[in-house]
Amino acid sequence: MFSYTFHWNQALKALPQMLEGALVTLQIAILSMAIGLAVALALTLFRMSGNRILNGFATAWVEIARNTPALFQIYMAHFGLGNFGIHLSPYTALLVGIAFNNAGYLAENFRGALKAIPETQTRAGRSLGMTSLQAFRYIVLPQMLRVAFLPATNQMVWAILMTSLGVTVGMNTDLAGITQELNARSFRTFEFFAIAAVIYYLIAKAVTLAARLLAARMFRY
Amino acid sequence: MFDTALSLADLGFLAKGAAMTLAVTAVSVIAGTVLGIVFGVVRNQAGPYWSLPLTFLLDIFRSVPLLIQLVLGNALQSIMKLGWAPFTTSCVVLSLYTAAYCTEIVRGGISSVPATTRRAARSLGLTWWQDMRYIVAPLATRVSLPAWIGLTLGVMKDSALVLWLGLIELLRASQILVTRLQEPLFILLICGAIYFIISFPIARLGGYLEKRWSPND
Amino acid sequence: MKKTSVLAFGLVAATLLSNPAKADKLDDIISSGTLRCAVVLDFPPMGSRDESNNPIGFDVDYCNDLAKALGVTAEIVETPFPERIPALMSGRVDVGVASTSDTLERAKTVGMSIPYFAFEMAVTANDKSGIKTFEDMKGKTVGATAGTFEAIALEKSVKEWGAGEFRPYQTQADVFLALSQGQIDATVSTSTVAQSNVKSGKFAGISVVAKAPYDIDYVALFTNREEYGLINYLNLFVNQQVRTGRYKELYEKWVGGDVPDLSVNGVYR
Repeated sequence: MFSYTFHWNQALKALPQMLEGALVTLQIAILSMAIGLAVALALTLFRMSGNRILNGFATAWVEIARNTPALFQIYMAHFGLGNFGIHLSPYTALLVGIAFNNAGYLAENFRGALKAIPETQTRAGRSLGMTSLQAFRYIVLPQMLRVAFLPATNQMVWAILMTSLGVTVGMNTDLAGITQELNARSFRTFEFFAIAAVIYYLIAKAVTLAARLLAARMFRY
Repeated sequence: MFDTALSLADLGFLAKGAAMTLAVTAVSVIAGTVLGIVFGVVRNQAGPYWSLPLTFLLDIFRSVPLLIQLVLGNALQSIMKLGWAPFTTSCVVLSLYTAAYCTEIVRGGISSVPATTRRAARSLGLTWWQDMRYIVAPLATRVSLPAWIGLTLGVMKDSALVLWLGLIELLRASQILVTRLQEPLFILLICGAIYFIISFPIARLGGYLEKRWSPND
Repeated sequence: MKKTSVLAFGLVAATLLSNPAKADKLDDIISSGTLRCAVVLDFPPMGSRDESNNPIGFDVDYCNDLAKALGVTAEIVETPFPERIPALMSGRVDVGVASTSDTLERAKTVGMSIPYFAFEMAVTANDKSGIKTFEDMKGKTVGATAGTFEAIALEKSVKEWGAGEFRPYQTQADVFLALSQGQIDATVSTSTVAQSNVKSGKFAGISVVAKAPYDIDYVALFTNREEYGLINYLNLFVNQQVRTGRYKELYEKWVGGDVPDLSVNGVYR
């Protein structure tokens, strides 16, 4: 049935190179998550602000991020912005694309989490003499982060998976980029991509595990 | 920007691409949901220990980038000399991908039905099948539907990746036009708008159902 | 007794019918009546699409000629660069007519014919970059189509220079889009592709500025590694195309200028 002979030993020689790529992948995922969290917080505040322009801006961001493909967003960050003479390197374009996507989904998660916190708590805080920002910072935010932590972990895994889309904008240093280059050179598609799949799986599992340990430490009652 | 070489025929080309996106999505979501329901019920019946192999297998589909899955699936079918067209390969891979997520949703839905309710049903003399059909299914569907709509939209957007295998779906159709007409921004904006128009109303419907059907409102 | 002889007859008949030597791919193509070629369609002038989005180009014509020689009809299967090999392996196409460089690395996986086309490498630069020669690219951001002969050579050059950046894009179209937007300063591509893209007038502000000092990129038809019968046929076909002047004719139609020599001095094959 198979006339194809696997050349695993040749593919495994590229393993160190691929592991280096995995580090870049992880780096982009973490950075995009950090930026995404910060922006998502800002978007959440915008939505709570009651200002129509800020609210509209935040809503537009969230809806576009959630209703168009990530691949489209990354392609847009590179070639769409390039049209205006804004030149992002593949690395930056990928980072910006994923961060944009992360921010949209995280902001929506935060909104869901906010609903779980009764408004009476904020009012109680205010009547204790806190400013509205203080009430948000000390009462709402910690609870919101707790509720939103699990969805955020999922988003982190998503971010790792999304980094693989960088190959479409000329990224060649992350895991998918290196794998694709090795493949184009030798035509040994299955071997290289199978190794890449295993590495992605391990990264995703490691991140999930780390998040669980972190949650266990951070959210002890 | 409004001075464009984009012709009506090209818009038709984009529409064809969008139709391909929808076709791949429809096949994958239907097949994936059927599989997901079967796997979800199996996992619920077998318990965490016995369903471990299935859990592990499905987990792979959720922990490896879809792009890698598609390339691997395509390479595998080529090595096995199955001779599948890119459409078939794309649908098979996307269906399994959908099934992996759908299983979780179904399992969540089933376990949201209180055990006491089910025991009550069984003690009234309902068979397992009747219990599933008349008690669990309606209750679990309510809980799972919003998440399922989210999944469907996710698959619709992720299906953009099948362009890698040479299928001319919406995004690939846009790229072909960009190559020919050299108006990247304008064409990409149209492409984005089409995705948005398909996705947004359904997403809103999901949000509405979630609000309406959430248990404690 | 009668029963056994009928059975024996049946067996003999079955063996006779099924035995005549195992049909190879060449037989399969002829008996099926269609030749399915993998062609890359974002690689003008070798393969592209006309206004009604139908496939055209040198490779498309070449496939049609091959089909005619075989006495079958041609079917063009569009494959992006990364999809060429899986398409062949899975039996979705019979032959690749896809401007595939005949590297030794790839020959470990697929069977290559003798070269049917040869590319010289040219530097195309964005006018704003000020690049005029190959050496000017040192320290600049350059790009090429991932995995191609020129991409591998250019990436090596960038590493040797120790300055600048190399970016591989997945399609030739993306490379030129990035070049005209100024995302990259220059690219090395086959001179035919470069000329064709610059001449098309679709990309503002780019020009072919110099030749790149790389080896000539010979490209071959490819099929499954073990299909010697078909590979033999392909070799003879390429030879005949040159001999009959059809190669020259196609070259003038799609590219124009001096026809590249397909033979290498001082060695057989």
